Amino acid sequence: MKLTRENIIRWAPALVLLGLVVLFAAINPAFLSQRNLARIALASTPPMMVALGVTFIIVMGSIDLSMEGAVSLCAVLFCLMFLKLGGSLGAGAWLAIPAILLCGAFFGWLTGMVHVRLQIPSFMASLAMGFVGTGAAVLVTGGDIVRIDDDVFRALLTWRILGFPLMVHIAALLVLLAWFIQNHTTLGRNFYAVGGGEELAHASGVNVHRVRLAGFALAGVFYAVAAIFQVARLGQAESVTGANLMFVAITSVVVGGVALWGGIGGVLNAVVGVLIVNVIGNGMVVIGLPSYLQDGLLGVLVIVAVVLSTDRRLVSFAK
Amino acid sequence: MSTFIKDYIDREVITRRKLLLAGAAGMATLAVPAVFGRGQARAALTDPAIAWSYRDRASAYWNAVVSGGEAFVESIGRSKSDMVNLISEGSSEKSLSDIKAFLSKTGGNCAIACDPNDSPNARPIVEAVQAAGGYISTIWNKTDDLHPWDFGDNYVSHMTWSDEQPSEQTARILFEAMGGKGGVVHLGGIAANNPAVERLAGLQNALKDFPDIELLDAQPADWDTTKAAELMSSFLTRYGDRITGVHCAADNIAYGVIEALRAEGITDMPIVAYDGNPEAVKLVMDGQLLATVFTNPYWGGGISAALAYHAAIGTFKPSEEPHEHREFYGPTVLITQKDAAEFKAQYLDATPEYDWTDFWGPSNGQIQYR
Repeated sequence: MKLTRENIIRWAPALVLLGLVVLFAAINPAFLSQRNLARIALASTPPMMVALGVTFIIVMGSIDLSMEGAVSLCAVLFCLMFLKLGGSLGAGAWLAIPAILLCGAFFGWLTGMVHVRLQIPSFMASLAMGFVGTGAAVLVTGGDIVRIDDDVFRALLTWRILGFPLMVHIAALLVLLAWFIQNHTTLGRNFYAVGGGEELAHASGVNVHRVRLAGFALAGVFYAVAAIFQVARLGQAESVTGANLMFVAITSVVVGGVALWGGIGGVLNAVVGVLIVNVIGNGMVVIGLPSYLQDGLLGVLVIVAVVLSTDRRLVSFAK
Repeated sequence: MSTFIKDYIDREVITRRKLLLAGAAGMATLAVPAVFGRGQARAALTDPAIAWSYRDRASAYWNAVVSGGEAFVESIGRSKSDMVNLISEGSSEKSLSDIKAFLSKTGGNCAIACDPNDSPNARPIVEAVQAAGGYISTIWNKTDDLHPWDFGDNYVSHMTWSDEQPSEQTARILFEAMGGKGGVVHLGGIAANNPAVERLAGLQNALKDFPDIELLDAQPADWDTTKAAELMSSFLTRYGDRITGVHCAADNIAYGVIEALRAEGITDMPIVAYDGNPEAVKLVMDGQLLATVFTNPYWGGGISAALAYHAAIGTFKPSEEPHEHREFYGPTVLITQKDAAEFKAQYLDATPEYDWTDFWGPSNGQIQYR
């Protein structure tokens, strides 16, 4: 591989990640311990699923800001269904998993319909649908917390294979699945066609509306997976379970080198981006950085990462 | 002082003239002082409208506050819907403008309970209520220089909660469970929030009596379960086995800590929390938490509405009450493994019947300023 400008930019997010790991490990070697790597992986799992979902949307040149509401709603519905179906994975409650994936797909499809049919910009449509999701979550829980105490389900958190919790392994498989959808399915290639030039895609016979709807529905499925992981990790769901995921997911995707104007980057960029954000979050505590500096430093590191990992020569102006 | 009373009487006379011109409602209001025969300084209202102004109902905390307000309204023979909900959605401007609208709609014939959303917002709200001749009780937010007794009868009372003392008590319980030695970490609320500051201060007070306990770290977890779980696992990397106890500023934070420890297979860590949510009380009963603190938001919501209402109809005259009845701390109940079951039976499985005319019984002394 030649050391061209293009290649450097392509690998920049991974180099940023490597640089951060080396930096934190140099200050506190415990950062590189297997147990800490497992902790970072675990913290990354739910935002990773959200980031995968939103990557498809961003590659299409749209944006989806509904993830907090979608994850909260899916999480509380999942818990309520799980308890209704017996409260134990063995006793039929496993049905809640496919059911909630369908719910997520439906929620995403609905966001897509608001965006495509009502011709509302995706930014506004998805933000509004996010509020609808949070509101619905408040409505079904009445502001209360729903807890799940099933040990079999919680094995996603407590059962470790090679030192990593089960849900981390499942997340890795889902990353592969997302990568496969992106690179080896018509739908995945169409995301790039739409993101690279919507008019051109339309002229080439791509049903742009249908691709957008499918994209939002697919993102919804990943949000539902994030909700399941979030419940597995915390053993509970409430109307704020999805809080903060918007910032983490969008930041991760951009830091990883997916361009907000569409058509550039992909699933693997999102993975690296989520790891960068979580390595920073964990590393700052592990090296003992005072808490009042952490938010500021996170902001600075995010800007540096974006500067290094996007090819700004390709855009005439930023919006 | 004398000009203050004169101004006050003048204003009340004008208010009443307005009401008289407004028609029959005004006549009724005018008749009340005549019945009591105490002259014009007594500005009792008949059948005032009741409102609660608060953030929103999404959290368990505010839900309990508002439910208490509704219980009070039902106790005086009205229906729940007779209590007007003024929802500020966390905006001070909306809080103020909603109250002003309510004042003009009722012509000042009203009793309002209110969380002004932030401290500086309390003054314009109270001034608007006084100008309209209504009655108001506030909770949580007001500036230190604003006092109910400077507003005659219209600013009935202010209630807040001091978290320092109860937080110190939970810390002592924690330290004793740790055998008086070891390392403790504190996971706090949003750094600048007053309760977060007080709950950390309580921990630090207790530390003075336990020289063999080291405060390893104290960082904000922003009242958030997910953030608490992540912060706790990062603490485990940094301090490992040196952590032998965890002091949490809220129940929500403790849930995240318990799950972060569960992921590592640690189930016997001594942990204390704060807020007395139903889930946390169950965790105390299960032995996963050592203690939490209950602030009885239900009572706080009911009694704030009751104070404003009873002052409005003239059951008591606020300006004749001592200062500790105008500015006071709300109740705090420490819940430990010994009394959790009893607490659950009393407060959670059944809603206690409160005497809404026992205005100050469960309160906790006059507010002290530092």
